[in-house]
Amino acid sequence: MSGARTLRLDRATIAALVTVALLVAGAIIVPYTTRTAYDVQDLTQTLQGPSAEHWFGTDQFGRDMMTRLAYGGRISFAVSGTAVLAHTVIGTTGGMLAGFLGGAADGVLMRVTDVFLAFPDILFLILITGVLGPSLLNIVIALSLVGWAGMARQVRAEALALRGQEFIDAARALGATDRRIVVRHVLINVLTVALVRASLDVGPVILSEATLSFLGIGIQPPMPSWGVMIAEGLPRLRSEPYLALIPSVVLSLAILALTFAGEGIAEALDPRSRRR
Amino acid sequence: MPRYLAYRIVAMLPIIVGVTLIVFVVGRLAPGDPVQILFGDISNPTVEARARAQLGLDRPLPVQYLRFLGSLARLDFGSSYVYRGIRVSAIIGQALPISLALGTAALLVAVLLGVPLGLAAALRPRSLLDQGVRLLTLLGVAVPFFVVAVGLVLLFSLRLRWLPVSGWGTPAHLVLPVLVLMLRPTAYITRITRLSVLQVLGQDYIRTARAKGLPVSAVTLRHALRNAAITITTTVGLALSLAFTGALVTEIIFGIPGMGRATVTAVFQRDYPVIEAVVLLYTALFLLLNLAMDLAYAALDPRIHYA
Repeated sequence: MSGARTLRLDRATIAALVTVALLVAGAIIVPYTTRTAYDVQDLTQTLQGPSAEHWFGTDQFGRDMMTRLAYGGRISFAVSGTAVLAHTVIGTTGGMLAGFLGGAADGVLMRVTDVFLAFPDILFLILITGVLGPSLLNIVIALSLVGWAGMARQVRAEALALRGQEFIDAARALGATDRRIVVRHVLINVLTVALVRASLDVGPVILSEATLSFLGIGIQPPMPSWGVMIAEGLPRLRSEPYLALIPSVVLSLAILALTFAGEGIAEALDPRSRRR
Repeated sequence: MPRYLAYRIVAMLPIIVGVTLIVFVVGRLAPGDPVQILFGDISNPTVEARARAQLGLDRPLPVQYLRFLGSLARLDFGSSYVYRGIRVSAIIGQALPISLALGTAALLVAVLLGVPLGLAAALRPRSLLDQGVRLLTLLGVAVPFFVVAVGLVLLFSLRLRWLPVSGWGTPAHLVLPVLVLMLRPTAYITRITRLSVLQVLGQDYIRTARAKGLPVSAVTLRHALRNAAITITTTVGLALSLAFTGALVTEIIFGIPGMGRATVTAVFQRDYPVIEAVVLLYTALFLLLNLAMDLAYAALDPRIHYA
């Protein structure tokens, strides 16, 4: 039974996926269509409201908001995509080995996940980027370190359940090595769980990145990020509310769409998680 | 119960060691030399060596870690790197009560709002109210609360001018932050209440209660809600942790002098001891909250026995 053949998505999920695709496409394409870069200032064109030339207006330095939104999207998607990929790989590998090997390896890994799960997410992120510095690399590392433990737990539970199953015994009876069993049988079977979890993780990770950047300890200006743009627009909320509102709407839309898409995919791949 | 409590506390020890170890290591990896930060550039090597010895930095790393643990046990987080001679505990002592008050207020509102909403939605599944509640809870989870804050400030403070934009001190200053902060906990509590009441309503004893002619209110309140309350109570712990971490961000938006501002200020000033103390305090707080909720679960549900 192939997951791809039976994958049925409901209309809301498809709408959410289309929204995500449009946002990603926009983030990639828009910078090619506008002539300016995200940090090009035009001090004769500051604080222009939305117009035909600047669809989303310009900020206090005359930078085109649309270009900055798109670049911000590129950064948000790239940072969170990398972080989710990294924590999925780390979590899946760790969880799979712990579940399959059991014993001391399992015990050690579980205690380590306990430690990582004990930190409140936002404070762990602040600890890493605040003390080690908010470079792009540190942000990705911090976000990956937050997500991997939950992933490892879930994959481990799945691998543990697999260990006792007959087809694993059968493979071993046929002379398969541990390595072959892990790669050909265990990995394939825990992959669904890992992918479901990963699709659910993207939204929260984008939100974490935006929160950090909003606080000023994530992506650093002049590089744009939706969180940075909201924070920069805040002091001008009275006179130019669009500066903060437009990135707010885009960020909310992205997270909402990712949440819907993630839950829809989770439901389609794993009927047990069906919500009531 | 006492044995269970003892077991849980022992089980917590490795977590505490791991958490403090990570904070210690990250602190060592921080750029900059504490001696230079605290005492400025010292040209005299003897003075510098004495300062280093005074801070214990001349010892091997494992010894430094043990001393770090020792001072944490005495709730001593050291001195601020930025404000000379001011203890980190003094900075936190001022900021923490504000943040905890804000978080607790938000949680109270969330419980008072979330439980009735969830109950109402569960009693009429798939009704307009149920759909509305589902949409609201989804928005509460998915829309970043600093985005909500932007909208509320724009509407109530700048357009309608009913409430102050930012600041702290009067009851009016509390309204918007609490409103923003209660959203996620409310969404969470509503969702769990709805689910657990729905689950209880499907049980046989509810049908029995209805069959023997009890009025609907008695069935819902005495049978359904009371049994669902066990699950709801334990989710309050998670809602409270949402409110506490949310408070850190909300404070920044509304200019409230709590832990959030202390933390972000510390990050900008590279005041590492303050950052470390905040992270350790909140992690400890969350571990205790977790434990309290597990104990509450055991105390509330007579079916659960911990040997």
